[in-house]
Amino acid sequence: MTIPGFILRNAFRNKRRLMLTLLSVTLSLFLFTMLQTALRELTQPAQTDESALRVVARHKVSLGNVLPVKHQSRIERIPGVHTCMKLTWFGGIYKDPKDFFPQFAVDADKITDIFSEAQFDPQEMAAFLKDRAACVVGIKTMDRFGWKIGDKITLQGTIWPCDPQLTIRAVYRGGIDETNLFFHHEYMDELCGKPSLCGTFWIRAENAEAIPGLIQRIDETFANTDAETKTETERAFVLEFVSMIGNVKVLIGSICSVIVFTMILVTASTMSMAIRERSREIAILKAIGYDGWQIFSLILAESFGLALTGGVLGCFGAWFGTWLMFQHVNIAAVSNGMFIKFEVTPHIVVSGMLIAVVLGLVSCLAPAYSSIRMSVVTGLKELD
Amino acid sequence: MNADPIVQIRDLTKLYRHGEIDVTALNCVSLDIAAGEFVALMGPSGSGKSTLLHIIAGVDRATSGQCIVQGTDVGTLNETELADWRNNHVGFVFQTFNLIPVLTAFENVELPLLLTSLSSSERRAHVEAALELVGLADRMRHLPRQLSGGQEQRVAIARALVTDPTLLVADEPTGNLDAHSAAEILALLQILNRTAGKTVILVTHDPKAAAYASRTLHLEKGELLNGSSQSSVVSSQ
Ligand SMILES: Nc1ncnc2c1ncn2[C@@H]1O[C@H](COP(=O)(O)OP(=O)(O)O)[C@@H](O)[C@H]1O
Ligand SMILES: [Mg+2]
Repeated sequence: MTIPGFILRNAFRNKRRLMLTLLSVTLSLFLFTMLQTALRELTQPAQTDESALRVVARHKVSLGNVLPVKHQSRIERIPGVHTCMKLTWFGGIYKDPKDFFPQFAVDADKITDIFSEAQFDPQEMAAFLKDRAACVVGIKTMDRFGWKIGDKITLQGTIWPCDPQLTIRAVYRGGIDETNLFFHHEYMDELCGKPSLCGTFWIRAENAEAIPGLIQRIDETFANTDAETKTETERAFVLEFVSMIGNVKVLIGSICSVIVFTMILVTASTMSMAIRERSREIAILKAIGYDGWQIFSLILAESFGLALTGGVLGCFGAWFGTWLMFQHVNIAAVSNGMFIKFEVTPHIVVSGMLIAVVLGLVSCLAPAYSSIRMSVVTGLKELD
Repeated sequence: MNADPIVQIRDLTKLYRHGEIDVTALNCVSLDIAAGEFVALMGPSGSGKSTLLHIIAGVDRATSGQCIVQGTDVGTLNETELADWRNNHVGFVFQTFNLIPVLTAFENVELPLLLTSLSSSERRAHVEAALELVGLADRMRHLPRQLSGGQEQRVAIARALVTDPTLLVADEPTGNLDAHSAAEILALLQILNRTAGKTVILVTHDPKAAAYASRTLHLEKGELLNGSSQSSVVSSQ
């Protein structure tokens, strides 16, 4: 036998208790990992260099208010603006409400300029531009519904009173989100009869340095008009969109704290039970020559072993599990577009494992301390 | 045998403070034990036998007085030094629950050796020799619950012996055994004393057990009764 063998033997002494504690640590850290991943996906949408050049102007009152189209030409004249594109959330239903994917009416000729990080096929885009009733669709949504170029689809308006019939003329790949559908704004204007309104303006700045001044100049331009704007970076805009589903960050953060706290309580009580019932054995070990630190190391190793095993199973389980699952499941579809990806990052796994390390330490400190301090004579009196 | 006594105790006093009242567990005890002696410590319950044994074995500290074992004043060692000292110099046998229940007889005996620098094959040789000596070579792979009480005590003795300590101390090792097993354990201690030359200190309140010893000391209310206790080496000559 070796010292590690002795530690293992101690750990496996009460198998059922070990399994239950291990299960609770594993599940807690699994949940922690999943929630942190959800939080990250919701609050940190993928950002590319290109997206750092984009700002979004919307109605000052809320996202639900529309802007007059005549703002566009004034924005285009502001120094630092490279391109300004109308972008209106259409929010139509394709076949069934659960078939949700994001749809936008845009200035067709400006799409490639604004979403420059996405890859468009020039020939397909030429066909898209020629056909007023055409649309360009992200590869994920194409795959999800098994669409091909040339397919015709109908969107049933929910916000806008029209049902555009669209022909898929182009597909795009890459960019921040491969699930969107874009179609001609003029076509929507024509169908809905409201040519003077649009939802937002997406602006590409000439360079990143221009952005702060640009934001200020746009909002100043429309100050004291009947449609004041609020302009912000794309990232801030998306975050705001996310905050419409409640203060998720605080909510998820507090759930995580409760999980971690409960897990520490459960593990600490297991460890203290496990050590207390061994106090006589600890006294015997001391009598045959083990000193306090050696006994502390034995206990610490046992506690660490438990916590780290739970950590590995929970965090890496979540990592591998989500990876495996989303090979087969379209997360964007399942979550109605709330999550584009669901990626457990190394950063999250590391923070989960750090919590496991803290758990291993904290849960054994109190019982280990008291068993180290307990004199051999006191320990021997137990059970005697 | 005429060398310095292996244990020299001078004016050893142990007080327990209970609120306002002091309980005197040992009162100014002085005593020498020579190398190779088999000493029985007798006395009624509460007379301080265990306390004295614990101080000699370095698991408890005296309130005042000296306890020198093989030239080392045990009271001056710090906790870590003391633990190390115990590992090298003392073999301990208790009344009950001596063994770690999840370890086999072999592994229990191996425990004190894990603290040494011996290789695993050296450890194996020592453990097997010790178990051989107590007559349990065929029970090495058994867990404590698969052994009888007497066998458990013999494993405990093997564990006490395996480091080849200076002193073998036993606190009522036969207290929970039937007469037959008790006799076997006492005979074993006697053999270890006579053939292996181990110094043995046995705490007991049973005169039959004390009869195996070469010298018997009587404690009462924390004081030694025999006037002869300080003149060592008498009985072994
Ligand atoms: N931890 C303690 N606190 C207070 N008194 C104690 C403690 N341990 C032992 N004593 C007292 O010391 C005396 C001697 O105890 P002990 O050495 O265990 O006696 P024995 O082993 O001879 O039965 C007893 O009166 C006992 O009550
Ligand atoms: Mg006693």
